[in-house]
Amino acid sequence: MNNITFTLNGKTASYDGSATDRLLDALRDIYGMTSVKCGCKEGECGACAVLLDGTLINSCCVAMGAVEGSTVVTLEGYRETERFAVLDKAFASVSAVQCGFCIPGMVLAAESVLAKNPKPTEAEVRDGISGNLCRCTGYNAIVNAILIASKEGNGLW
Amino acid sequence: MVNGFVANSLQEALEIRTNHNVVPYGGGTDLMVENRPDVSYLFLAKIPELKEIKADDQYIRIGGEVTFTQALESSLVPPLMKEAVSRIAAPAIRNAGTFAGNIGNGSAKADSVLIDFVADAKLCLSSVRGTRVVDIDKFYLGRKKLDLQSDELITEILLPKTGLENYYYKKIGGRNALAISRVSFAGVLQMEGGRISSFAAGFGAVADTVLRFKELEAMLLGKTLAEAKEKKSDVLNAYSEKMVLTRGRVSAEYRKTVCLNLLNDFMTEKGI
Repeated sequence: MNNITFTLNGKTASYDGSATDRLLDALRDIYGMTSVKCGCKEGECGACAVLLDGTLINSCCVAMGAVEGSTVVTLEGYRETERFAVLDKAFASVSAVQCGFCIPGMVLAAESVLAKNPKPTEAEVRDGISGNLCRCTGYNAIVNAILIASKEGNGLW
Repeated sequence: MVNGFVANSLQEALEIRTNHNVVPYGGGTDLMVENRPDVSYLFLAKIPELKEIKADDQYIRIGGEVTFTQALESSLVPPLMKEAVSRIAAPAIRNAGTFAGNIGNGSAKADSVLIDFVADAKLCLSSVRGTRVVDIDKFYLGRKKLDLQSDELITEILLPKTGLENYYYKKIGGRNALAISRVSFAGVLQMEGGRISSFAAGFGAVADTVLRFKELEAMLLGKTLAEAKEKKSDVLNAYSEKMVLTRGRVSAEYRKTVCLNLLNDFMTEKGI
């Protein structure tokens, strides 16, 4: 009955709860990563998105046992990066944030798009954030922000 | 680990599956929606042997734990499967969801499973006793009922290497992304010497399992496109008689109308 060990935002973390617990709940309740939002608990809104071993996943649909030996990055970790600084500025420049609830997931989805494809088309950006629901901005500002970040972050992705 | 087992090799996974009462866990995207805290999961996603896409002389062999994103990035996976998989949910789900999970969940709405049906795919089911290969339509026994023993895992999906090139695919959902199929349809036509050598039409999300009616498909075999065209209304009528659909999220009438429209559209697009 060993604990579940994983890396959370660069630091080793140990979890002694059940392997069936949701990563989302552990991140918020045990590790205090409140950037990870609970929107739907069924993988339909993207508000709980994190990077698991570098890929975007919805943390509500991941059991803790599945993160054994893995690396998890939430916005709390990602915000320490240069890439985040570029996205932060880009989102602010076109007011791509209103209530903010979707934004942690949206920023990590943006990172995921740009990491795969530093110069995405608008259609590719829209596909990349298609699993992240926003009920305020209507998406256009967010799409613009990601395209701006792609331009301004030359060489970072 | 409480309530869970992590396997690092297929052999280890099969031994755990034999000796413990576990639920195989791939990407978790279906299982975690159900969220059953009292089960024990067998985590399979990190087993290298199950994450490979290979080709032999007959088949494209997709490992059970291959994710949909991995398939989309592979040059081996046929375009028909890629098109269906690209319409599954959204990137974060496609990054996690697996082929074995899509099948093992048992739903007739599973988008990759529809393609398995029209492709006459085979499944490799492994246990410590050995591996057996079953046809996809024999594997689905009924609603959420699968021919899978309690010590078996779905280890590979075998798609024929050729024959899927001339296809038609439509998924009808309530929205563009994150849509559950209301009706899905895939058709494949093969010609040899100007005559129809294979006609496959699969209907997803409208009954307990994906539907195919091979006896009706046979009505068109050996015909030229012109001859098939003359038979078209007979074929559509035969499907209409044969299809007894149930109500789901949408009415049985809606399902049937859409199924027949898509079948008609498939044939028209292919010159029938």
